[in-house]
Amino acid sequence: MTNERNFVDTATPSKARTSLGALLAIVLGVGVVAGVGFTLHTISADPQPAHYATKVGTIVAADGKTYNHYVISDGVYADPINSKAHGNCATCDGGHPSWPSYGPYTDFVLPANSYITMTLTVYDGGEKLNTPYFGNVVGTVDGTATYDGNAKTSLPADGVEHTFTLHGLPSSSQDPLFVNIPLPVNTDAEMKAYNADPTKLPVGHKVTFSFLTRGAGHYVWNCEYPCGDSTYQNFGAVMGQLGFMSGKVTVVNG
Amino acid sequence: MADHNSHDMSEVEALPPTPGARIATFFNRKEVRQTVILGLAYTILFIVLGRFVYPHWMPKVLSKQLQSEEDILIWFTVISAPIAGIVLGIATQSFMKMHRGDTPPEDGVAIRTNTPVVIIWTAVSALFCTVAIVWGLVALNTESIAAASDAPKSLIVDVTGSQWVWSFYYPQQNIHTHTLNLPVNQPVTFNVVSDDVNHSFWPVQLGVKIDANRLVTTIAHADPTSVGPLDIKCAELCGLYHAYMETNGAVQSPSDFNNWVSSIQATGGVQR
Repeated sequence: MTNERNFVDTATPSKARTSLGALLAIVLGVGVVAGVGFTLHTISADPQPAHYATKVGTIVAADGKTYNHYVISDGVYADPINSKAHGNCATCDGGHPSWPSYGPYTDFVLPANSYITMTLTVYDGGEKLNTPYFGNVVGTVDGTATYDGNAKTSLPADGVEHTFTLHGLPSSSQDPLFVNIPLPVNTDAEMKAYNADPTKLPVGHKVTFSFLTRGAGHYVWNCEYPCGDSTYQNFGAVMGQLGFMSGKVTVVNG
Repeated sequence: MADHNSHDMSEVEALPPTPGARIATFFNRKEVRQTVILGLAYTILFIVLGRFVYPHWMPKVLSKQLQSEEDILIWFTVISAPIAGIVLGIATQSFMKMHRGDTPPEDGVAIRTNTPVVIIWTAVSALFCTVAIVWGLVALNTESIAAASDAPKSLIVDVTGSQWVWSFYYPQQNIHTHTLNLPVNQPVTFNVVSDDVNHSFWPVQLGVKIDANRLVTTIAHADPTSVGPLDIKCAELCGLYHAYMETNGAVQSPSDFNNWVSSIQATGGVQR
């Protein structure tokens, strides 16, 4: 038996048609890749509005230099409704009514080469840090933060509510910036009224700290207190989504 | 049994009777000579790339470990160059000379085993693999012996990975830091853990990469040999800000390292 093959004669496409087909295939491929990239970029964008630091004057820092002095403030809440991080309405919780949240902002814009004073008012309870290191104040101009007016260099690991931990990519294109501020816990007694009625916030604790920015760059911040659900050592759920316990810090020129 | 080929076996050219004659016949074929020339050209190209170009794309070497790894990468590339060269030579020759348009050619005649070629091919491949395996085992064993002998004089650094920040504790100096500084020419032992999900501790210029797991301490060893900046990355996809789980540091002269330690001890043992 012979193994004869039946080939179908097909018209050989012209070079022009072949070239056009190749070009269209390339354009289609580029379009698909660009579309996927654009979609992913849009989905991953921080949904929160940016919060800009406000200039209040100039200040002489410990290094003897005079800096433009900017202030910025935010809050930390046990729920996203009170934080108003997802809108100023009674049902704006981002679909997660039980998640703690910074608010009303999670996306901060700071000027370069400036003295930044940030104030965080905290309204949540707490348990214990996974990593005691994050109970230390790090990266501020004098190594301290003021807690209801009292300067401290650290908090005990079981006295921390959340942390504001700012960090970024160390690279030749931007200066390093690392700040870690442990935020104090509201005690069970302080949270009692809130736990009975979430519209009644505790008095809260005011934490103020200052740090210096250098050149422009893109940084991120997140909470190092395990305030997620029971997965990943309490680092699941809220800890893995933008707009609650994490966000961006953009340092800009001008 | 049905004949699956349209060619009559009588049409197949008889192989020469001796291995030497078979090899000569094999290499007298035009396409074989072209393939060999192409293979040699590719081999030379890969050797030049591996030996002289790739090293410029690698991190600055600050430790014995990274030097060893770089040597292995370079020489494995050189060793594998002939294999890649001959494969690409065959592919190129086939594409350039054997392609016959859109109508596929009929099947060729069955190729009978050419024993000498098979023996040479198998022996050379086995030799390359053996060199690679022995080299790797020797390097691994050398590192293990060095780690054990250097342990008593090592600087200890406890490394903790947390989503998404590295922190370090130097128990001998009793300092906590968020950057990693090391003295040159002193062995260092990293005790690596995670407080949450799996991370991977990767001080790039030291050539060390090791898992950071919760509840299990993994141990890595390094011998810094040159001063210079360090980039510390997480090499295990670990969540939202995995890409930002980086910090920096340096391999320093002993005096600079001691000054750095003293400055941290002066602020309560925490790097402010």
